[in-house]
Parts: sequence; C-alpha cells; structure tokens
Amino acid sequence: MRATTPYRRREAIAFYLTIAPWLAGFILFMAGPMLLSLYASFTSWDLINAPIFNGLGNYRDMVEDARFWQSLKVTCIYTAAYVPLDLAGGLMLALLVRPRLRGISAYRTIFYLPAVFSGVAFVVVWVWLLDPRGGLLNLALAQLGVQGPNWLMDPKWALPSLVLMSFWGWGRSMVIFLGGLQTIPGELYEAAAMDGAGGWQSFWRITLPLLSPTIFFNLVLSIISTFQTFTNAFVATDGGPLDATLFLVLYIYRQGFQFLNMGYASALAWVLLAVILVLTLLVVRSQRFWVFYLGDRPE
Amino acid sequence: MKTAYRLFSVFLLAVLLLTACQTPTPIVQTIQVEVTKIVAGTPEVQTVVITATPAPTLAPTTATGPVVIRAGTGDSGEGLAPHQTIIQNFEAKNPDIIVQLEPVAGSDYYARLLTQLAAKAAPDIMQIGDDAVPNFVSKGAFVPLDDFMKQANFDPSIYLPGLLDPGKYQGKQYELPKDYSPMAVYYNKKIFDAAKVPYPQEGWTWDDLLATAQKLTKKGADGKPEIWGLQLTANWTSGFEYYVAAAGGTLISADGKSYVGHMDSPEVIHAVQFFTDMYNKYQVTPPPANLNQWAGGNQEFANGKAAMFIFGRWPQAGYLKNPNIDLGVAPLPKDKVRANVLFWSGFGISTTTKYPEQTFRFLNYYAGEPGAQVWKDWALPAVKSVADASGKTKDPIDGVWINELNYLTPRAYTFTPYWGETADPALNKALQTVLLTPNADVAATMKTAAQEAQTALDKLLNK
Repeated sequence: MRATTPYRRREAIAFYLTIAPWLAGFILFMAGPMLLSLYASFTSWDLINAPIFNGLGNYRDMVEDARFWQSLKVTCIYTAAYVPLDLAGGLMLALLVRPRLRGISAYRTIFYLPAVFSGVAFVVVWVWLLDPRGGLLNLALAQLGVQGPNWLMDPKWALPSLVLMSFWGWGRSMVIFLGGLQTIPGELYEAAAMDGAGGWQSFWRITLPLLSPTIFFNLVLSIISTFQTFTNAFVATDGGPLDATLFLVLYIYRQGFQFLNMGYASALAWVLLAVILVLTLLVVRSQRFWVFYLGDRPE
Repeated sequence: MKTAYRLFSVFLLAVLLLTACQTPTPIVQTIQVEVTKIVAGTPEVQTVVITATPAPTLAPTTATGPVVIRAGTGDSGEGLAPHQTIIQNFEAKNPDIIVQLEPVAGSDYYARLLTQLAAKAAPDIMQIGDDAVPNFVSKGAFVPLDDFMKQANFDPSIYLPGLLDPGKYQGKQYELPKDYSPMAVYYNKKIFDAAKVPYPQEGWTWDDLLATAQKLTKKGADGKPEIWGLQLTANWTSGFEYYVAAAGGTLISADGKSYVGHMDSPEVIHAVQFFTDMYNKYQVTPPPANLNQWAGGNQEFANGKAAMFIFGRWPQAGYLKNPNIDLGVAPLPKDKVRANVLFWSGFGISTTTKYPEQTFRFLNYYAGEPGAQVWKDWALPAVKSVADASGKTKDPIDGVWINELNYLTPRAYTFTPYWGETADPALNKALQTVLLTPNADVAATMKTAAQEAQTALDKLLNK
C-alpha cells in the first residue's frame, strides 16, 4: 500500500492537467478513426458505399499480394539503413555543436533548419541535385572523372538515393542529442581528465553511457517515423523504378485513395502498426542491456 | 492554487464527457450560416448571412432565402479565377443561389473528396478527371444527368466532338465537360529553320516522325546530342495510349475482361518497340529525366534543346512566352490509324445533394455556353459556338488541337473501373523496363505485363 502524500497527489493532478489537451485531441481525432479503421480492416469498403464485412479476407489477400511483400521489404531495408545513420549523424552533429562558443547557436540553427522545411520542397531540391545528367552531384562527380549513377532512375540506386536524401533530417535527432548532452554533469569530465582520460576515452566511458537514454529515445522515434516514410517516395520516385521504392505507406495510400480499397488499406495499416509495435517493444525490452540511467530507472 | 487545479480538471473532464456523449437534438429552429466568399479579382471579402430552415424531408426544398451550393474542384492558384468569375456572373442572375467554391490543390483532391463522400458531406457539384469517372460513378457517387438535361431542354450537341463521351458511363451521362486536351506535336520553328527541315504536315506518319527527328538531332563534339529531335513522355501510361491506338492496337478487350491478347498483341508490341527505339536505338529522344509525374519530366523542349515534343496542351501558354521557342503545333502522325486520346475533366452532381434543381441550374451554366465564354480565356472551350466565335477553331495553333478531336479513340479506363488498379501499374512497369534496359525483349516484357494485369483483374472480377 503506497501512501498518498499531498505532494504525490499534486504531482498526479499536474500530470493529468498537462496531458489533458493531448488526451482530448487523441480521443476526438485519433482514437475514433483508429477504431473505425480497425473495423474497416475486416470489411470490403470503397469509401462511397457502406462497408461489407468479410472477416479476415483482407489479411488473407495480403499473403498472396506480391506488392505488399515488396513494400514491406523496401520499408524494412530502408529502416535498417536509415535509422543507424540517423542516430550516428545526429550524434555527430550534436557533438560538433556542443561546445559553448561564440556564434555556435548559428551553426545549431543551420544544422537544424532542414528539419523545419516542408518535406515536398526539400525532396524536389534533391530530385534536382540527383538528376543524372544536369544534377549538381553528377556534375561534381564528373569533375573527379567519375560517371555518377542514374540515382533515382536505377532500380539498384533508387533506395540508396532516398537514404542519402534523408541525411537532410539529421538536425532533428541532433537537437534531442544536444538536450541529452547537456544533462551530463561536467564534473565527470573534469574527474576523468584529472585521471588522465583522453577525448576518446571520455566519449566511450562517459558520454555514450550517460547518453544512452537519449539514444534509446531517438532510436524509438526514428524507427517509428522511418517506418512511416511516404513523402520521399511519393514525390521523388512514385514508388519506382520497378517498385524499388514502393514503401508500405505509399502502397497503403494507393490502395485506399487511388484504388478505393479502403478496407484492404486499413488492414495494411494495422499490419504496419503491428510491425512497429513489435519492433518498439523489442527495443524497449533491450533497454536493460544497454541503457544506463543516472537516477532511478523509470517504472 | 490546489483548488484551482482541481476545478480546472473537473471542468476539462466535463467538457470531454459532454463532447463524447452529446446526443443529436432534432434541429427545429432557424439556423444562421455565415458564408465568407472571396470575390474574383478583388481583395474584398463579402460576408453574407443566410437564414434557412432545414426541411425535414429531402424532397422539394422549402428554403427561405438563397440556398448554398458547394462546388469541389482540384484546380488551385490562378486556375481558380475563371471558376470565381463564372460563379459571380451566375449569382448575379440567380439571387436564390449562393455558390461556394471548395478548391483542394493537387493530388489531395480525390482523397479529400472520398473522405467527404464517406462522411456523406460531399460538395453538391464535383469536378473529376476522366479516369476517375467509372470509379466514382460505378460506386454511386454521381446522379445521372439525362433527366435533368431533358427537363431543362439542355442541348448536348453544343459541345465539340467527343467531349461528352468521357462523362458517360454505361450509356448514361454523369458529367459535363469542363476542360480537355488531346495530344499533338509541339515543334520549335527556330530549330527546324536552322536545320532547313520543313514543318510537319497533316498526314505524316511514324516513319516521317522518325526521319524528321533524325534530321534534327545534332551531335556535339563529344558525340552526345546537343539538340534532340523529339522529346517523349517516358512511362506516362495514359499518354502512351496514343501510340497503342495509332498502331491499331488496344490494351483491353471491349468487354473489359481481358488484357491477355491485347496488351501483348503484335500491335501493342510494335507501339512499345517504336517508342523505346526512339530512346535507345535511334537516340533521337533525350533519356527520361525522371520516372514520375510529380517531378515535371524532361525540360529539353522548354530549354530549346529539343525540336519536337508530343504532349497535351497544358504547357502551351508557357511555351508561347518562352524566348527559346518559336512555337508551332502539328497534328499527330499516324501509323496504321490516325488516332488521338483525350484528357478531360468534368462536373457532375453528387448523389448526396439536397438541392438537385438548383445544382443542375448552376451546372447548366458552369459547363454550358456562359461558362465556356469564361473558360475560353484560360483553356480550350468545350462549347463549339464559343470556340468558333472566339476564332480558336481557325487559329493556327489552337485550331490544331480542336481538329484533333475528330480522331479520338476511347481510352482503356473506359472499359473497366479496375484499369488503374490492375493494368496501369503493369504497363508502367513494362515501359520502365524497356526504357531502362536498352536491349530488353519487348515481346516478352509485354507478355509478362499482360499476364500480371490479367491475374490482378481476374481476382477482382471473381470477387
């Protein structure tokens, strides 16, 4: 039996109070549509006429749907390539802009800026940069005597090109890492320096372990958002060439809004949710092996 | 402080519960709707307060004061000006109706429309594009217009040839034309004159097209073309239907059930071979700049680096102002058949409208002669008398487009509502394959595509 102290009660009230606006929004705008889409996933529904219940039919169709498996494969490969790069890149940028120097906030802003831009705008810019003949990247490579690839138009290069484009988003994880870095007590570095630890040693023995909760947080966020990649593929490649960049969310969009199979699209969306949920749970479970909390481990 | 917190959270909870459990009460009182309209050309915003008592039944409206009709369009930006002008003119003559334009830009439009249809809150008038017609109509989103047209003595022969067809489904008229474009050949007179090559003429053939393109392609010192003979449209599937039709082929059987025997027929293989040879064998066509509709396609013609370009009328206004180009437009070349395909959008009336009479009255105006008087300044007018009177029919450039309407062949989507879901991805993939692999076996590629499309279609038809 836990005693309810006035402090605890006040804290609980503050918690519910601060979460209330989000909760209200969630219940009104998310939970309803989510339940509806769960129901829709067991129906055949064209959006215009009433849904017709067909049990597990949509989920059974998925097993035989080659495009579904292709889109799942593309999404998984992309996530596996992008998430580690995103974490490493964000961490690198955060370390670079960590020192409190004069004018450093200008750099912080510059590195973060691309994360603020509209997805479509930055993808269009990348499409120009990656143009096989007139694009800046291949022109630069040509100066070095290298014949650049066909980037977005080569089935082998299209997905790596999209990974390349996403470097643009490093600023988002940088900001979170920067926040994490600031929670590391400076005394630890002083003590380490006094004991003769070099930069690398401090990084491996102090920064990384103490940053692990932030890495964990970024990892979860990054996995979730990467699995939902849509804009890049929609704008830059339209899923092509030869379905090489057919992401799951793009496929869901096509089924739902282009082919009017909202039931099937809903079922696909729930499979996506299940995949993300399982992966996130795995990552959360793995915490005790590598995440180190200075204070109490959160319950 | 503590009490304040508690009070506030109780209040929040109450708000939540209230919104969750609110039961709809029958509306008997008079409601006031405030409509804000932006008037074309002027920054002024009109606010009109409408008072209406909703009738308990859907049948004859007993509205007092003007009714509000909502019009959905996928046009945006500058393209909204003609809509607004027409609406303004219409409202001046019909004080009992207020038209509220609801534009949604780009590819979000259909997603929005479908969501509104699902929520039974669709606009009274909806603009949709050609290949969406069978899909929306077969699912019951639009009312047939035939009875309205008869009652209003609407004369369907006012339109230029072929323009009513895309709005038909199983013999009934569901949409009236808004704007359209067939395909034609743009050519840059500067490049033709410099190479002393005569301009293309009606009656020319695919062989002439190739020969002309070869004469105009000019290689630089590095062996790579500086000037390309002919820009084409890569894996743009609906545009590719022209080549299929000109070769005398079809992509689907007339009963809408078979792709096998059509997509892999000798005629279609010939069309694909001819198309891809322009890129890979003869190299008169610049390689695709991208493989998706969003990225804008090749820019060689716009940059004065390609002599010809086969496409629709959409970029014409820009080309006419483009200093790199002295523009001419030529009829499409024929192979076995003198053919063309139409791109089109039209207006129809939603099945959910509460004001069918008023909505048709507006549609009649929007898509009829008065509307065409306004559209003509922005696009090709659909109404023949307007096209004639404005001189467009005889115009050396716009006359070519209008004349192309005499050679239209039906597009594949008209034979099945499943075209977009089954054959279009397969054809797209086949075109990508032959364009990206110079020595691709076209016959084998088309056979695979036909089978892939057929399997998908059979599965849907058997459901």
